[in-house]
Amino acid sequence: MTAETLARLGKGEERRIMVGAALLVALFALASAMVEGFASSNNVKSILLLASFLGLAALGQTMVALVGGLDLSIPFVIGASNILLAALFGTSLPPVLAILVIAALGAGIGFLNGVLSFRIQGQALILTLGVGFAAVGAAQIVTTLGSQYSGTVFSQVPAWFSNLASISGTTFGIPFPPVVLIWAAIAGVMIFWIRRTRSGRHVYAVGGNRTSAARLSISERRVWIKTYTLSGLMSAVTGMLLLGFSGGGFVGVGDPFLFTTVAAVVVGGTSLLGGAGGYGATIIGVLILQVLTSFLVGMGLNYAAQQTVFGLLILPMVALYARLPHVRNQI
Amino acid sequence: MSSVAVEIVDVHKSFGETRALRGASLLARTGEIHAIVGENGSGKSTLAKIASGVILPDSGRISVLGMTPRNPVEAIAAGVATIYQEMMLAEELSIWENLFAGSDPTWRRRRTNAQKRGEAREILSRLADCPIDPDTRVADLSLSVKQWVVIARALVQKPKVLIFDESSAALDLEATNRLHEEMRALRAAGTAVLIVTHRIAELVKIADVATVLRDGETVGRLERAEITEGNILQLMSAAPGHSARGRIVQATTGGEVLAARGLRLRAGARPVEFRLRAGQIVGLAGLEGAGQAEFIAALAGIAPPAEGEVFAPSGRIDGLRGADAAGIAYVSGDRKREGIFPNLSIFENFGMALYGRSRRMFGLLDDAADEMAFRREVDRLGIKFGRAGDRITTLSGGNQQKVLIARAFALSPKVILLNDPTRGVDIGTKQALWRQLREFADAGGAVVYLSTEIEEFFDFVDRACVFFDGSIFEEVPAAEIGEERLLAAMFGQSGVKAFDRGRGDDAHPMMEGAA
Amino acid sequence: MLFHVPPSLRHLVVPAALVAVLLLVAVIRAPMTFTPVGLAGAVLVAAPLILAAMALTPIAMAGRGGVDLSVGPAIGFINVTIVMWLPALGIASPLGVFAYAIGMGILWQVMLAALIIWLRIAPIIAALAGYMILSGVNLVILPRPGGIAPDWLASWSFGTELFGPVLWILIGACVVWALFTRMVLFDHMRLMGADERTAYTVGIDIVTARLAAHVMAGVFIGLGAVCLTGLIGSGDPTQGNTLTLQAVTALVLGGTSLAGGRGGIAGSILGAVAMWLVFVVLSSFNFGAISGFMTQMVFGLILTASLLLSLFTGRVRARTA
Repeated sequence: MTAETLARLGKGEERRIMVGAALLVALFALASAMVEGFASSNNVKSILLLASFLGLAALGQTMVALVGGLDLSIPFVIGASNILLAALFGTSLPPVLAILVIAALGAGIGFLNGVLSFRIQGQALILTLGVGFAAVGAAQIVTTLGSQYSGTVFSQVPAWFSNLASISGTTFGIPFPPVVLIWAAIAGVMIFWIRRTRSGRHVYAVGGNRTSAARLSISERRVWIKTYTLSGLMSAVTGMLLLGFSGGGFVGVGDPFLFTTVAAVVVGGTSLLGGAGGYGATIIGVLILQVLTSFLVGMGLNYAAQQTVFGLLILPMVALYARLPHVRNQI
Repeated sequence: MSSVAVEIVDVHKSFGETRALRGASLLARTGEIHAIVGENGSGKSTLAKIASGVILPDSGRISVLGMTPRNPVEAIAAGVATIYQEMMLAEELSIWENLFAGSDPTWRRRRTNAQKRGEAREILSRLADCPIDPDTRVADLSLSVKQWVVIARALVQKPKVLIFDESSAALDLEATNRLHEEMRALRAAGTAVLIVTHRIAELVKIADVATVLRDGETVGRLERAEITEGNILQLMSAAPGHSARGRIVQATTGGEVLAARGLRLRAGARPVEFRLRAGQIVGLAGLEGAGQAEFIAALAGIAPPAEGEVFAPSGRIDGLRGADAAGIAYVSGDRKREGIFPNLSIFENFGMALYGRSRRMFGLLDDAADEMAFRREVDRLGIKFGRAGDRITTLSGGNQQKVLIARAFALSPKVILLNDPTRGVDIGTKQALWRQLREFADAGGAVVYLSTEIEEFFDFVDRACVFFDGSIFEEVPAAEIGEERLLAAMFGQSGVKAFDRGRGDDAHPMMEGAA
Repeated sequence: MLFHVPPSLRHLVVPAALVAVLLLVAVIRAPMTFTPVGLAGAVLVAAPLILAAMALTPIAMAGRGGVDLSVGPAIGFINVTIVMWLPALGIASPLGVFAYAIGMGILWQVMLAALIIWLRIAPIIAALAGYMILSGVNLVILPRPGGIAPDWLASWSFGTELFGPVLWILIGACVVWALFTRMVLFDHMRLMGADERTAYTVGIDIVTARLAAHVMAGVFIGLGAVCLTGLIGSGDPTQGNTLTLQAVTALVLGGTSLAGGRGGIAGSILGAVAMWLVFVVLSSFNFGAISGFMTQMVFGLILTASLLLSLFTGRVRARTA
């Protein structure tokens, strides 16, 4: 019986992760064969580093997708946090406090997204687009007032902060960027929470059937808002860590994440219809995407071409995992 | 001389792991009313959908008016009209747009909008027996008028084969009579009328031929005089001589566990006073829209009443959480809408209700306790499944309902509220459920049982609260429960014979006094 | 309201009121816009947005929560290829360019429709993927704004007559739509959008109905791309991206139900006009360095506000308890 209760994972998700892992390995092997130095430790480190950013950003997207929504404000919150933190570092505010403030701001935007979009259901993602757009506009206004450079903010990033996210960063002396471990730790907590706690299971309940969840006194509203708040928080964290990575604030730094977070969630096998999938699956999706990006870069494709490839990749994955049933089967 | 309208031979159909049909057959001729009857899970709805072109069979021969429909477009072109179990309506559009939906082929208009409006007004006012404005938005209509729209849509097609899939559910008895008149008229005109139903009493009155399905195959075909309740039940259930009734058990009752005071279910309705004691089983009955559904929702804390309050011994009950805390469990028969989580496993559908009871920190799940409860309830209710980790959608409707009831029992409630729980459930499960609820009541629990089929109340409930016009019209004690008495109360008549149930009679309920 | 509005026009009340208010403000703040020359320029500037919003309308009406996010990049794609591919193919005549633009618009939309109809991918996801693909492709074809549009087309940006080619295009588009609404296909599309199961079971050809919606969208996208090319006189690979947000806002403002079934072109046009008026009003303030950000923020707020408003007017399928 215990094996069956462990089947909380469900046959479906196990299979998806297997397929994803197999795909990842195959892709890595192909890339190593075709691109020189692909399997070198430096390249692997770089892949993992970039994967950390995507992984953190895609965490929120995964949670939101599990309840049947999508968060299109992610790129904007990332960009806004990036420049706002850079601006705050330039003030006399202690860096740690600055970080907490931005994190709270990100969570606040996520909270707003959740509260406002709760009743809109299917078109919630458009609302997040609107909120995100407004937020990044406001952030740019705030950082530009009194400065002559719009969109790019130069300031002092504390050394320990850059160390977190740079490729040459060290964790307690080991030559490994700390952000990867930060990601791993957060991922572990996340997966544990969603599989082994009541509030985590409630996400699946709400994603599966809202009314049934309501009958069990599971507050759909609370779950919805929680996931969006989490997404906002993670976007802010990603935006901040990216500052450490690049050293200067740049509002456009979040733009790629609109596509890639959705792609990572979809490629990993989480259904955009809600209720099926999970963060474990997204992690595989993130790694696949990052290996693919590195591969495409190695093959000489520029950013625009990569974007096209990702868009094309989403389609077969969605066709596999998130197809709507034929209308004849809904009768 | 009648000809063959629908011939289905040895048809098989599986949905994933569920085998819906395994060798079902059917022969329906023109100019007859043909009933397809069986428990749920017997495949009758699937069979009807195959004849409509909605579902494609895995194997077997289908001939509907000489052709094999592969989709609704083909079926309709051949002259098949279908009225589905779920009402197919575009809620935001008007009556006339819904009524004439699909009446124009893609590249030609058969009727102008003005013609459609006029015809819609005419036919609906006749069917619903009251004037109807065809521009009304469908969402604003009552369930029974909506049902008439769907029926009218089929009738204007002047079909050669008309299929009704459980479609009298939303109609009250009087309206059902009118529907039967329409069916008889169609039969006289040569249409083959197929009705899929599990309402044995109804089909005994109207059907010329009955095909009985059990577990996806045809187990019998009855004609004319052979169509009796006894014969049908015998064919439907595996064991012969299965009585549809439960046992009468006299129970001693305990203290009051639930009460409603001054409960006004809607503006202007009479207030309801209700008392439930431990050990009692109370039935709720009424015509559709009479208020019993709102009442049980108010008791469960799902939808607060317009006025008044619900009380438990612990105090006033405020909303769903309050009801839960007071030991009140709610089980709905509308599994798909407000019961199961289709994406989750059987075990987790059961356990989700128990997670709140875990005493561990941070809301960590208590596997051991949940598993124990699961095993216990599975044994008690006899739930059949492959593995607990399988998706709940692999279970039959009856077993799914058992899971939902099981998790209510697992909460050790003081009161169980059941909202039409045996909808689409086979007779064996029904009887097991009644037995379980009797045991629960005998052990000190209390049950409120809403049902749309008054047969369920016989020999099962201690009293039946019959609703009429938004309030309890009459509380009928067990000894006096009978079909005529309950029906009369549903029409707002006390103790008066309201319905003649002779076969083939054009009987009319008494109209005076009925609002 | 002081007078009774028939139910079929009720969804136009909010956008019409908004346009009226904004018009007042715009006339006060930027009177130059409302001279004949100013209006000619206005039509030119607003045309791509109006046509983009018109393109979104049938797709939203067709149901399944379809909001075509790819409309901006699709217009951008046709714009970029008019400038980059057509000269190489020797196509420069008005007939050739129009035929290409409309044909390509329809082709793109039919591809999306195929994904939605046969692979049964949710329309909004297909559109999102389409957005990604095309915005990448646009940059691959033309990394930086450049290229030259055919002379006759580039001359539109100097136009000073109100009744110039762009206005005729808009009128033509409305006529095409009006003809479409008279067809049985339109009724089928609406019913399908309102309730697809019902449409299927009553024997409506839902494949053709959905294709029809996308073909109409493709026509408007093609026309919008021609107008955009006329406006900027060259190719711009990223212009289209902001167009998506604006067009979606215009659609929502216009009262078309995002859940399908209800709505119409008049609302989308009003919504687009409203968006353009907002732009005019914002431009009339001197925000200096932050003017771009101000526009961004205001557009975002308008989109958010109009979505929430549509919740109250029932244009969005709100979650029910």
